Amino acid sequence: MAIRVNPQLIDELEAYGAEDVSKCYHCGNCSAMCPFSQGDTIFPRRAMRQLQLGLEERLQGNLDPWLCYYCGECSEECPRDAEPGETMMSLRRWLTARYDWTGIARAFYRSWKTEVLAVVVTALLTGIAFLLWGFSQGSIGDYDGANAFLPASKVHIFDWALAGVLLFFLLSNCGRMWWFTLGKDERTRFAVGSYLRRLYLLPAHFFTQMRYAKCTRKRPWAVHLVLMLSYVTMLVLIMFFLRYMASGPAVDWRVHAFGLTAAAGLLATTIWALRGRIKKTETHYRHSHESDWMFLILLIVVTSTGVLQFALHRSGFDTAANIAYVIHLMGVVPMLGLEVPFGKWAHLAYRPLAMYFAAVQADALRARERSQVPVGAAQTA
Amino acid sequence: MDGEMKIGVYVCNCGTNIAKVVDCDAVAEAAAQLPGVAVARSYKYMCSNPGQEMIIQDIRDLDLDRVVVAACSPRMHEPTFRKAIQQAGLNPYLLEMANIREQCSWVHSDPVMATQKATALTRAAVYRVARHQPLEQRSVDLCPDTLVIGGGIAGMSAALDLADAGYKVYLVEREDHLGGNVARVDLLAPYLDSARDLLTERITRVMEHQNIDVLLGAEVESLEGFVGNFTATVRGQNGSPFRRSVEVGNVIVATGYKEFDASRITYYGYGKLPNVITSFEFEKMLRQGRVQTKEGRLPRYVAIIHCVGSRNPEYHTYCSRVCCMTALKYAHEVKAAVPGCYVSDVYIDMHAFGKGHEDFYRRSAEVKTLFLMYAKNDHPVIRKAGPNDGCEMLIEVNECLSGETIEIPADLVILMVGMEPREDSEQVAHLVNISRDKDGWFIESHPKLDPVATTTDGIYIAGACQFPKDIPDSVAQARAAAARILARIARGKLEIDAVFAEVDEDRCSGCRVCNELCPYSAIEFDEEKRRSHVISALCKACGACVAACPSGAITARHFTDDQIFAEIEGVLA
Repeated sequence: MAIRVNPQLIDELEAYGAEDVSKCYHCGNCSAMCPFSQGDTIFPRRAMRQLQLGLEERLQGNLDPWLCYYCGECSEECPRDAEPGETMMSLRRWLTARYDWTGIARAFYRSWKTEVLAVVVTALLTGIAFLLWGFSQGSIGDYDGANAFLPASKVHIFDWALAGVLLFFLLSNCGRMWWFTLGKDERTRFAVGSYLRRLYLLPAHFFTQMRYAKCTRKRPWAVHLVLMLSYVTMLVLIMFFLRYMASGPAVDWRVHAFGLTAAAGLLATTIWALRGRIKKTETHYRHSHESDWMFLILLIVVTSTGVLQFALHRSGFDTAANIAYVIHLMGVVPMLGLEVPFGKWAHLAYRPLAMYFAAVQADALRARERSQVPVGAAQTA
Repeated sequence: MDGEMKIGVYVCNCGTNIAKVVDCDAVAEAAAQLPGVAVARSYKYMCSNPGQEMIIQDIRDLDLDRVVVAACSPRMHEPTFRKAIQQAGLNPYLLEMANIREQCSWVHSDPVMATQKATALTRAAVYRVARHQPLEQRSVDLCPDTLVIGGGIAGMSAALDLADAGYKVYLVEREDHLGGNVARVDLLAPYLDSARDLLTERITRVMEHQNIDVLLGAEVESLEGFVGNFTATVRGQNGSPFRRSVEVGNVIVATGYKEFDASRITYYGYGKLPNVITSFEFEKMLRQGRVQTKEGRLPRYVAIIHCVGSRNPEYHTYCSRVCCMTALKYAHEVKAAVPGCYVSDVYIDMHAFGKGHEDFYRRSAEVKTLFLMYAKNDHPVIRKAGPNDGCEMLIEVNECLSGETIEIPADLVILMVGMEPREDSEQVAHLVNISRDKDGWFIESHPKLDPVATTTDGIYIAGACQFPKDIPDSVAQARAAAARILARIARGKLEIDAVFAEVDEDRCSGCRVCNELCPYSAIEFDEEKRRSHVISALCKACGACVAACPSGAITARHFTDDQIFAEIEGVLA
């Protein structure tokens, strides 16, 4: 059955940052140099072609964009400046919008004004709510203790509620991702053995970013790994050890050693990335979508206010520490509530999932191929 | 054998080319023993200046009257040695070459046998040269006027160059206007300049040029004579009919091409689906400034299909060369005429060979033309769309770059029809006595070194009548043809080779076997005398008539029976 082309799709992708796709004439230089392009995985050329033709269904079910870590070499070598690296990045944005059933991601990616408005409104509402709550039950001059302005134990309940909402959206979107890529296809839907056998890939890729390490250039991988590990460390500390984190004014080195290291890692890598995007130091920093800026701005606000409240509280400036805490929360809530399920953050789930799904898919298709080869043919082969 | 004859024999070693297999000294020594041979030498490079000097010096010192050079093929150095002996005062035809390189050292490995063969070949040359006659080159007058057949861009460009140089040109055009196929085109690839502007300048100059006699609505009925002295009969059909006879020295054939008839291909639905049109029909739309469907609507999707009739074993196997860039031009023109229109370009390969073409291809991609690749043996199929498809037609393609079978929406389909020879190319070829290739295109004298002349002296070809060409190539060929003719006119006279066939009228029975046989139409029949006669200016001395004449009445100069038999005798002696 012939698939209808959609010449409009390429226009639609412009909002996601893919502007030069039509220049590609499929010489295959990008695929020739990409270490991930092997065998039937014609990478990144296949996705480029599907986009040019507007084969939406194919693209939606294609895991290729997630398998790219954007080292940028393909874009540098492209004889037509078709920016295959940036196209893959744009496709990841588009796929994020596709996986999201609420339509929020799509609205954010297509209009930065919508995204900024949503973030600002959420931040303001968060700020107002916490201020009202703080004044109603505590004192602005107390950071901890019985009269604490924002008692950590109670904020923690809110944290978990937020995490629940976040996980609901993110996991339901991950479910859609599975359906588009593996579920729709009978050949891969029920490959149970493979799903179990390959499960280890999920944490393996999540924690080591080992595929990124295979890119020719190692520095972007290192920066990304530090950022990710710092982020995860901080997340674990806050979700499970907030009590110790917020204690004080004495420093509890059992948690704060990790906390300070993670904060340093986050600050250093975020500043590195911001500087790179401003000065366009590397190919993968050359093009910046509004969502990339939002990601970094929220990260730097949240990290710096986190460090600030820690420092102020330990220095005895509890009022200032409380104000910093409110600002911190004004960053955290839109970041976790909006950006993780609907924005760039979602890739922390989609990318390792894609590695896992791709392995399952390859297993299932290989097994199917084997079972279809007649016995005689296999022997002669 | 004439005792007073003094023949010089020169055996060339050709470095080691000959000497490594053939014992050149032995060949020279054997030759020295032959009757009439005054001197025989072996030397490293006979064609070198010292080698030639040696021959010239010997002619002067020893009073040689004939020379044999045993060396390479006469195709390589016969002119060299003819010139050398001429310098020493000998008639250039008193030379004979024995080919002991291509026909001996290069093809044999046994030195003894090869030396024997070289000796025999040299002996044959000595026997033959003894019977050579001094021959004189002749020259005939040349009419400086030129006939140009075809008033397209090629014909006009050639005519203008000749006329600007001060010579008379008769420009014959069948239509009632000049311009040819370019007059049917809107803009030109790759710079999107106007074809009309380009032509207007040419046409105005041609029409106003005092040296150009433009004969519109006219055809060449017959062409008699030979290079330098043709008589053409031109017949005018339109308006007031006329018949004119013109004398010309040279002829340029620039009759152009016609487009492939798209209705010969059924699977594109041309003639059945109203919105499937040819590239020339689309040019007409563009020139009228109305890009629209038959129903008068603006198209939302335009699809362009390449290689219609070209690169297809069922129709034409060759590439028509101009369609790829024309298709890209349409992509730009459609986008300019109908903003927001989606253009699909369905191609096999993109041939962007010319100057500025690759950049043009790039720019066409940048304006978001959707390029779709199909395989040569797997053409797209067009069908009418259903009411819910949102377009007029759907084109199904097995798209090579994605490996997918896809469907493209289209409101207007443009078929890039290729070029083919005009229907009457066979008559034209016959009229001016030139040949056609398997596809019907006129054949040039040499595909690389002489792409302008033909096998008939004085007849030149220019433009797309030789093979599909774009405008720059057509103009280049036309101006090259004009330059070739001007070079000939500049010499004033026409040199005729001394070697040609002659009919002995006393022995000719008038059977006319030779008339039809001559590949150069060099033999005419004198109705009064009832005898055949060779036009020496046209004869290439191929010898076909000599062998065929049942009365033995034809002799080829420099290839007489006496000379040939002597050569055979020499080989066998």
